[in-house]
Amino acid sequence: MPIDHQQHFASVLASTVHDIKNSLGIQQQLIQKIALILDESNNPDITQLKFESNRMNHSMMQLLILYKIESHKFNLEIDEYPALDILEEVQAQHASLFQSNGINLLTECPDDLMSYLDFTHISNALGTILNNAQRYSRQKVLLSATLQKAFICFAIEDDGMGYPAEFLNIDLSNIHKMDWVTGSTGLGLHFVLNIAALHTNMNQCGYIKIDNESRLGGARFRLFLPN
Amino acid sequence: MTTIPSHKKFLVIDDNPMMRKVMRDILYTLEIENIVEANNAQNAIAALKKNKFDVILCDFNLGYGKNGLHLLEEIRHRKLLPLHTVFIMVTGEQSQTMVLGAMEVKPDEYLTKPFNPQLLKTRILKNFNRKSFLSEVDVEINRGNWASAIERCDALLKQENNRWRTQLLKIRADLAIQTGDYDAASKIYQDVLNKRELTWARLGLGIIYFQQKKYEQAEQIFAELVDKNPMQMECYDWLSQTYLKNDLPLQSEETLSRAIELSPLAILRQRKLAKTADKNQHPEISEQAYQAVVKLGRFSIHKNSADYAGLAKIYQKTGKYQKALETVDAMRSEYTSNPDALLWSNLLAAECFQNLGNHKRADETLAQLGDLAEKHHHALPKELQLDLAKSCFLNQQTEHGVEILDSLIKNHIDDETLMDDIKAMQCDIDRDEHAESLIHAIRQQLIDINNQGVKLFRQGQINEAITLFQQAVEKMPYNKTIILNMAKIALYDLKNSDFDNTKLSLTQEFIRKAKKIGVDAQKLNAIQLELNQFINQQGNANAH
Repeated sequence: MPIDHQQHFASVLASTVHDIKNSLGIQQQLIQKIALILDESNNPDITQLKFESNRMNHSMMQLLILYKIESHKFNLEIDEYPALDILEEVQAQHASLFQSNGINLLTECPDDLMSYLDFTHISNALGTILNNAQRYSRQKVLLSATLQKAFICFAIEDDGMGYPAEFLNIDLSNIHKMDWVTGSTGLGLHFVLNIAALHTNMNQCGYIKIDNESRLGGARFRLFLPN
Repeated sequence: MTTIPSHKKFLVIDDNPMMRKVMRDILYTLEIENIVEANNAQNAIAALKKNKFDVILCDFNLGYGKNGLHLLEEIRHRKLLPLHTVFIMVTGEQSQTMVLGAMEVKPDEYLTKPFNPQLLKTRILKNFNRKSFLSEVDVEINRGNWASAIERCDALLKQENNRWRTQLLKIRADLAIQTGDYDAASKIYQDVLNKRELTWARLGLGIIYFQQKKYEQAEQIFAELVDKNPMQMECYDWLSQTYLKNDLPLQSEETLSRAIELSPLAILRQRKLAKTADKNQHPEISEQAYQAVVKLGRFSIHKNSADYAGLAKIYQKTGKYQKALETVDAMRSEYTSNPDALLWSNLLAAECFQNLGNHKRADETLAQLGDLAEKHHHALPKELQLDLAKSCFLNQQTEHGVEILDSLIKNHIDDETLMDDIKAMQCDIDRDEHAESLIHAIRQQLIDINNQGVKLFRQGQINEAITLFQQAVEKMPYNKTIILNMAKIALYDLKNSDFDNTKLSLTQEFIRKAKKIGVDAQKLNAIQLELNQFINQQGNANAH
């Protein structure tokens, strides 16, 4: 029974990933302790170590969630939140990373803009994209939220080189086309698209768009969620 | 506010000194200097008695003794957690058991280690803002002044501040439910649902159906919610309660089992499962759940000698007499200074010895009860009274047994579960007719008193009605229906005669008594709300 084998392998993989994630959590706490003892400001390796460990943790989290989505063990908990709270959460989560790389993270959002979403998963999703933006930007990344008709739009714009042509040609309307999922940018987009698509209201559902129309001159990522 | 004011006081609770140092360093980065540390729950409680903190950072695991969940429940219960304080639960790993367990006690925030200073700051500031915006409402809710809480909440809603609207609506609808104003609550939930299908609003509608005894509709809503939101533990509890009302005890048990599989740390749910499974004749499941309750209860405010008794009885039922004796011993050593529990443990031990064929030890153990059993039994836990009565019947003290049963039935006639337990116990020892007829007679007596009282009340003979109910309260001090009606009439009398301080304190006393014996919160809150409104009006009238 090949399908059973596959399912079995998937669940073994998932529990292994869960295990690795816990280990990484402990590892990160240890790094935090060591950073205290060795004085991080004189040891750039520690910053790098933190970054790599964080990246692994993030990838594991994505894998685990994608597994849960595919095996129907995943549920969103949607409620109404100020969009600003989401931006502040994402900004805070990545503050150390941006700081140590000397990149300026700006936010732009009306105070009273409200959004319907799963707080944890949308901040993880935006964090994933932000992580990549940080790697390709030169000085600045802009994180914003606006209301666009029946959708709320979260945008991440950078001042880097922009998405390469092969990314811009990807059909992001079809989750099931897996062939474009390569590298961390591809996995990240695939993950975010999955989370977006689960946000539904009436007969509309969330989606993502990428282009090089950034107001800062680089890549622009947009996440649209039905409001 | 973009930074945490440096005068804010922090309490860091963690058993690992290195982790406390990490926390301290994170706080120093945020320029917080006012930090107190505690290495376990006991020292945290001592610190909380001495100081009021603005933020508490508490690790889930605190070594031997209470963990973070136990601590949060306890300081809430003992009123050591000021309303303005932000309580943040911190865990080292993201296991589902821990995450759900922590969520169920509802800390203000939940963080997984490691986290950076900025994230901590963002979460703290968010909570400071929320708490300061809602402080007036929170204070009134905490005081139990429903009228003022509703007034404040409505005033804030009028400001039409988008940011807080949903939070306010949740509180406002909850206040409406708490005070039995189901139309108002229902309207809020419907309005929200017309815009978007949100779990809390749908759950609210289900709760309203439940309170209105429309159990079929309630069941449909809760079942759908559990299906769609398998991680919302509250939905399982409502569904399981509703199944019981719809006379589906097996489904009720199964729902609890599913919830416990996901979130096994919730002691109250484990206890419900233990009892439900026992009634459903599933001793293995009940045994397992009781074991969990006893274990989880060791450091919890929910610790209860009845759980040891429950576990011992399950062991008896399945013939594990030795295990039952061990449980009774454990009960004794946990409750060395609690005479009720000691009495109970002796009763249970005697039954064990009897079952093991050791009649001599059984008799000796019973003899030890001596005066204890004779003492004022009304004050004992009702389950213990029931066991005591049973022991009397089995040991040729029928008269005393009847006396205990009669008072149990009189005082708890509206407790259907207990009446069923009494019937079951009497059936066990072939005395079921006595209980049946007594329950029937007392029900009738109660109906008569009520009818007569209501009749007097309708005829405008308020004083006579009050006297009648007062006599009834003396006869059946623990009867919920009578005390509730007494409170209602006292309030009516207070509102419809010249202002009288004696009448006011009489009403307050009945509400207090009713609360103490566990009258349904909604019914009481509705009366409390009316009383609050009356007092506020009096205050306004005097001020003018």
